[in-house]
Formats: sequence, C-alpha cells, structure tokens
Amino acid sequence: MMKNRELMDVALKAGEILLRSGAEIYRVEDTIRWICLGYNTECESFVLPTGIFISIKDNTGLEPLTSVKRISRRTVDLDRIDMVNSFSRQLHLRLFTYSEAIDELDRIEKRRQYSFFMRLISAGVASFVFTVLFKGSIYEGLASFLIGMLIFSAKELLSKTGLFQFFELLVSGLLAGALAVLSVFLFPEFRLFKIIIGSIMIFLPGVAITNSIKDALYGDIVASISRLGEALFTAAAVGAGVGIAVSLGLSWRF
Amino acid sequence: MKLTEFLLAFGGSFCAGLLFNIKGSKLLWAGLSGMAGWIAYAFVVTHTGQLFFSVFTGAIAVGVFSEVMARILKNPATVFSIPGIFPLVPGIAAYETIQYLLSDRLQEAGSKMVETLAAAGAIAFGILLVTALFKLAFSKKQA
Repeated sequence: MMKNRELMDVALKAGEILLRSGAEIYRVEDTIRWICLGYNTECESFVLPTGIFISIKDNTGLEPLTSVKRISRRTVDLDRIDMVNSFSRQLHLRLFTYSEAIDELDRIEKRRQYSFFMRLISAGVASFVFTVLFKGSIYEGLASFLIGMLIFSAKELLSKTGLFQFFELLVSGLLAGALAVLSVFLFPEFRLFKIIIGSIMIFLPGVAITNSIKDALYGDIVASISRLGEALFTAAAVGAGVGIAVSLGLSWRF
Repeated sequence: MKLTEFLLAFGGSFCAGLLFNIKGSKLLWAGLSGMAGWIAYAFVVTHTGQLFFSVFTGAIAVGVFSEVMARILKNPATVFSIPGIFPLVPGIAAYETIQYLLSDRLQEAGSKMVETLAAAGAIAFGILLVTALFKLAFSKKQA
C-alpha cells in the first residue's frame, strides 16, 4: 500500500504530464481521481489550464493532504496523453509500488518527440497541403512548403531562447508575411492570401478554439474561458505579425 | 479533383498528427480520420452549401471514426479526433478576423469572428455528441 504522500506524488505527476501535453481538463481530473481510486483513497482535484490542485483525504480521518502544482508551458503531445491513459488503466489491473509508478511516469515524460528533421518536413508538407486544399495552385503550395519550413525552424530556434510564447508567434507571423510578400514579388501570379494561410496554418489556434468550446460543453467554464483567451491572443499575435509584414512589404513596393 | 482533396486532407491530418507527436501506425489512422471528416464535409457542403452544418457533419464523421478506432486500438479517442478535425477547424477564419481588425473593417471582423466561434462550436458539439452516444451505448469506464 502506498502512503498518501507518495500517492500524491504519483497523482500530481500524472496530472502534470497530462496538462503539459494539452489534455482536456476533465481528462486530467478524471485520471487523478482514477489513480487515487485505484489505491482506495478518496481525493478531490481542481484543475485549471495553468495549475493543478489535489487534496487527498486521509484514511485515518485526520487532516487532508493538499498539493498545488503550477504549469507554465503547454504543448500538444498526444503520445504522452495516450501513455498516461494506459498507465492509469494498468494501475487498476495491478497496483504499482511507489517506485514502479514514478519510474513509469518518468519514462513517459522522457519519451522522445520525432526528430527535428521529421517535424520540419511535416510542417512543410502541412503548409503545402493546406495551401492546395484551400484552392491554391501547386506552385503556391510549393512556396508555402518552403515558407512553412523556414518559419517552423525559426520558431523552434526562438523557443530555445525561452522568451514568452506570444513573441515567438509574432515573429513567426512577421516572417511568414515577409516571405510571402517576397514570393509574390518574385512570382507576380501568386496569390498572397493562399500562401500565407497555408504556411501559418499549423500556428493558428483552430484546434485550441474548438477545444475551449469542448471544455465549456463539459462544464469546465473557467478552463474554457482561459483557453479561449489564449487562442484569441495566439491568433492576434500571428495575425498582427503577418499584417505588419504585409502592409510594410506592399507599401514599400507600390 | 475530389480524390486529390481527400488525399490532401489525409496528408494534412497525418502531418498534424506527427507534429502532435502521435507514434507509429496510429499516424495512419489519424490521417484517415481527417480524410473521413473531409469526405463528409465535402459531400454535405456540395449538396447543401451550408457551412456550419457541413462542418458539423464532418466533425460527426471524425468523432465516429475516432471512437471506433479508440475502442479497437485501446487509445483515447482524442488521439484520432484532434488531428482529424485539423482540416475543418476555423484557424483561417480566426486569422481573417485579425486581418479585418488590422485594416479597420470592423463589420467584416465581427462577422468573421462569429463565423470562427460558430464553426468551432459546431465541431466541438459534433465530437462531443458522438462521444456521449458512444458512452451511452457502451458504458465502460475510462474509454
């Protein structure tokens, strides 16, 4: 049997991995409750997009144990969500000891992403695909393939410097706008809009807006509103970047 | 022409899935999920011309596909539904809203904003509806 303090560690860590990987709020809360339930302990969790609060009731009826974890950076990593999900399922088939559980979660946390090269290529291909899917020509698609790869690598470089996320998005937008204007200068038959939407598609918060409405439909109103706000600022940062670059670029030309 | 569109939707969801770090053969299923969504969307939009209803149908297709695959492969359904809705989500509408705001065209900005929220709402509702129906049908824990 795991001590409450150890159980808290495991539940908090599982919740943290989920939230950092962009899981829905209800999934984080459910997983925490599910893990505690596996060890026959009652717990209450309250999860926000930026933090986790867990309170575990002591089975001796004494004071409850409470912990808070602040989450700052979130990405979407469906592989980790998948792994934590199967971790919490396994836990109900066979109870892990504390060190087993922590080791397993450590292993999940350290799982590698695809190599930079693979992600770069797929960012490029995604740009190509969305330009052509939204009625651009093949050549416009090829232009946004290149632009998409360039801004993806720029954003990766910037994120290593540890500046805030909106700045990265603004610069990505600026770069996308500038490169798209450049490509229109070189090939006057290109349509600016088609190239831009393809190359910034992967940065746009379409999925984030949809997920925030999903949160609202689940009843997680606080999370929903804060995610909607985040999505709004994301769109504003990328959009402003593109807008500045395009209006400067075009006025300089004409 | 239609077929290339479907393949493009597959490619879009596949690449989005890779960027969302889905591993192995699940990537193929994620791509197919996007293709299923786009086929349903394209079919309804050519026959009715109604944007939100078409997006909603697309989301239902993605939802059904994802829930079925989730039960076969024992994964959370979001692994397939998030990349699956990627071609349908209103990222571009959100971007256009900002562009209209930047050029002082407030009326267009307003209508684009409503379009963004309505499309996102239609997709979210479509996905959740399917999830709820599957939960009712097979009331298993932690699907």
